[in-house]
Amino acid sequence: MPERLRQALPSVLSVLLALAVCWSLIALTMTPGTATAAYVEMLWGGIGNWPAWLNGAAATVITRPLGEAAMKAALLTLTGLSVAVAFKVGLFNIGAQGQMILGALAAAVVGAHVSLPAVLHIPAALVAAALAGAAWAGLAALLKLYRGVHEVISTIMLNWVALRLVDNWLVIGPLRGVAEGGQSITGTAEIQATATLPRLLGELSRLNLGFPLALLLAVVVWLWLERTRTGFETRAVGLGAEAARTAGVPVAKRTGVAMALAGAMAGLAGAVLVLGTEGRYPGTLGAPYGFDGIAIALIGNNHPLGAMGAALFFGVLRAGGTRMQLLDVHKSFPELIQGLALLFVAGRMVWLALLRRHEAAASVASVEVPRA
Amino acid sequence: MLRLHVLALAALLCACSKKEEPPPAGAPGTATAQQPAKAPIPVGLVIDVGGRGDHSFNDAALRGLELYAAGKRYEGGKYVDASPEEIRQSLPPFLASLSSSIQPLPVKPMVLQSKAQEDYAPNLQLLVDQGAQLTIGNGYMLANAVRTAAQENPKSQFLLIDSQVLDAQGKVLKLPNVRTVLFKEQEGSFLVGALAGLVTKTNKVGFVGGIEVPLIQRFEVGYRAGVKTTNPQAAQALMAVYTGSFNNMAAGKQVAQDLIAKGADILFHAAGADGIGVIQAVKEARAAGKSVYAIGVDSDQSHVAPDAILTSMMKFTDLAIYQATKDLVDGKFSAGEQVVGLKENGVGMAEVRVDFPNKAEALQKVDALRQRIVSGQLQVPAVPGDLATFQAAAP
Repeated sequence: MPERLRQALPSVLSVLLALAVCWSLIALTMTPGTATAAYVEMLWGGIGNWPAWLNGAAATVITRPLGEAAMKAALLTLTGLSVAVAFKVGLFNIGAQGQMILGALAAAVVGAHVSLPAVLHIPAALVAAALAGAAWAGLAALLKLYRGVHEVISTIMLNWVALRLVDNWLVIGPLRGVAEGGQSITGTAEIQATATLPRLLGELSRLNLGFPLALLLAVVVWLWLERTRTGFETRAVGLGAEAARTAGVPVAKRTGVAMALAGAMAGLAGAVLVLGTEGRYPGTLGAPYGFDGIAIALIGNNHPLGAMGAALFFGVLRAGGTRMQLLDVHKSFPELIQGLALLFVAGRMVWLALLRRHEAAASVASVEVPRA
Repeated sequence: MLRLHVLALAALLCACSKKEEPPPAGAPGTATAQQPAKAPIPVGLVIDVGGRGDHSFNDAALRGLELYAAGKRYEGGKYVDASPEEIRQSLPPFLASLSSSIQPLPVKPMVLQSKAQEDYAPNLQLLVDQGAQLTIGNGYMLANAVRTAAQENPKSQFLLIDSQVLDAQGKVLKLPNVRTVLFKEQEGSFLVGALAGLVTKTNKVGFVGGIEVPLIQRFEVGYRAGVKTTNPQAAQALMAVYTGSFNNMAAGKQVAQDLIAKGADILFHAAGADGIGVIQAVKEARAAGKSVYAIGVDSDQSHVAPDAILTSMMKFTDLAIYQATKDLVDGKFSAGEQVVGLKENGVGMAEVRVDFPNKAEALQKVDALRQRIVSGQLQVPAVPGDLATFQAAAP
């Protein structure tokens, strides 16, 4: 079996097992028919209801679900990249959520309070978000490099600082949007039209520029890690900091840059959320995509393209999952599938052992070194 | 060619799962008043991240649609028929007469719980696509999502609770297919204020607000006016504090403890979860031997601390949702802005379940005030500026 396939297999099997377990759970609490119907609903809600379209329904039965799935996939890809990049340099970035919050706020402020033509406004807001996220992650990197504070501790704590700072003060205090006649509104002022990410299919769906941007970044990050000297050095630091230092790699610099890049990715996720669909920093920022990023990165085996693949899959699942409610299936099942998949991926060694035994049984003499 | 392949694939998929398209959902976009008389009319409701079972805002909306409009109870993931007795029990005593006018309507509730802010718009859209003739957005958090959905689906009707629709510049936007319902919180707050003025022994009462926005100020202004009417001395000494949040119990508790330490013996809160902290502080002060009461908000919060809750200022979003659904069924649904107060049963004072000296007399006085507001003799101020000139004869 090719090495690359072997690496991906535990993730795929874990996801399939999670799907099977959740199907059984629904089937046990309701009926097998309902469980199957719910999965089919979820599929149509994620990739579009093709049968309905072929039966003559409007194109929106396909474009809307695809747009929602793409939107979620874009956010998950970016936060997944954030965690994966930090992993490559040997850091566990639990702080993607906080970095995303800062990025979202920066995008909302630049989007609302700066006047520029669209060609400059969108990049300006995106860059601001990336810088904000990078700065927030940079704090954790500085603490790590100069004070030896473990990044897991510092990023978790910085998440809370970000949440309190932004959600509990800035957004309801100095930056709160004001409506005419003193109507109460939630969140910051609405961003200007020039800062809104253009929709790729117009009125047909909410699919916007954020999706191709996320895919592009995944490929760029992958190329950087695999095909450049600095990327190689970054991976070398992750595999063994002391060995890398001995070999002349500037460990502190690579660590700082990788962590800042991780923060920038999470910050961009916030920007895509604000500039793409919300139009402002909402009263409370969306689902915890930053924490989902950890799951996405792990299921994607900390590979940029793996994270992208996992994000696409779970984007479809999450977008379609809402439809399960139409059959009175609880709204939490898509998250449950993701959580179970993560749990099974964590049992990676078990999968690998099982696979090895299977191959041994097939009497294929393997000379590959087992990977942890 | 591609289409053919897809068709084959689809046929295959459909063959193994016949159930995925329940017939009542019908084809999207064809659901405009052409339903046969007997098919229930689909009505959609999007509730926020609090979800089902919050004992407050979302549950009130669900009650309006499921129990009142559809006559159903949600139990273990399924709808079961509810008895008229259940409807009667869910209404406060002074609205008991309404229970006969609340009759199950031929509607099919479709409820979507949202997992995140960005799910509001697609959830509204999904309900429209599923054929909902009326789609309800519960709460001002959904104002933007309702705006988007209403503009993109001009043939569908929408109901937005607790907010107007605003455009990007924050100006009020009138859409031809959206009914918005606002509540005169000041009127209900006036009544609980009047009661507080009669019940206080220290002649000091307090108000704990969440975020100081006009919506919450309406609670404070009405409350102040009520206290002023029955107890001018207490109105002079009224202490109002805003916690600056709606989800920080600790802040509410701390503020309430301060107010109690300063001598306030009745605290009215309009502060969401912060208010739970207020009620806790009152409960603890009572345990320490102080005679203090809290006044709840939105729902009858008596069950949170039966001894400590004097009454609650209730907002009947459930009745507003029932009314809109009934209007739809009767073919009388109209867009526009509804503002409901005491007269329209939009707000009200919950039953007083605790005992205090001269209870009957106090309740009589409050009821007299209620009647004067309902009849229009008494105008309750809604903004702080009108408070200074407000004068009402004591009952």
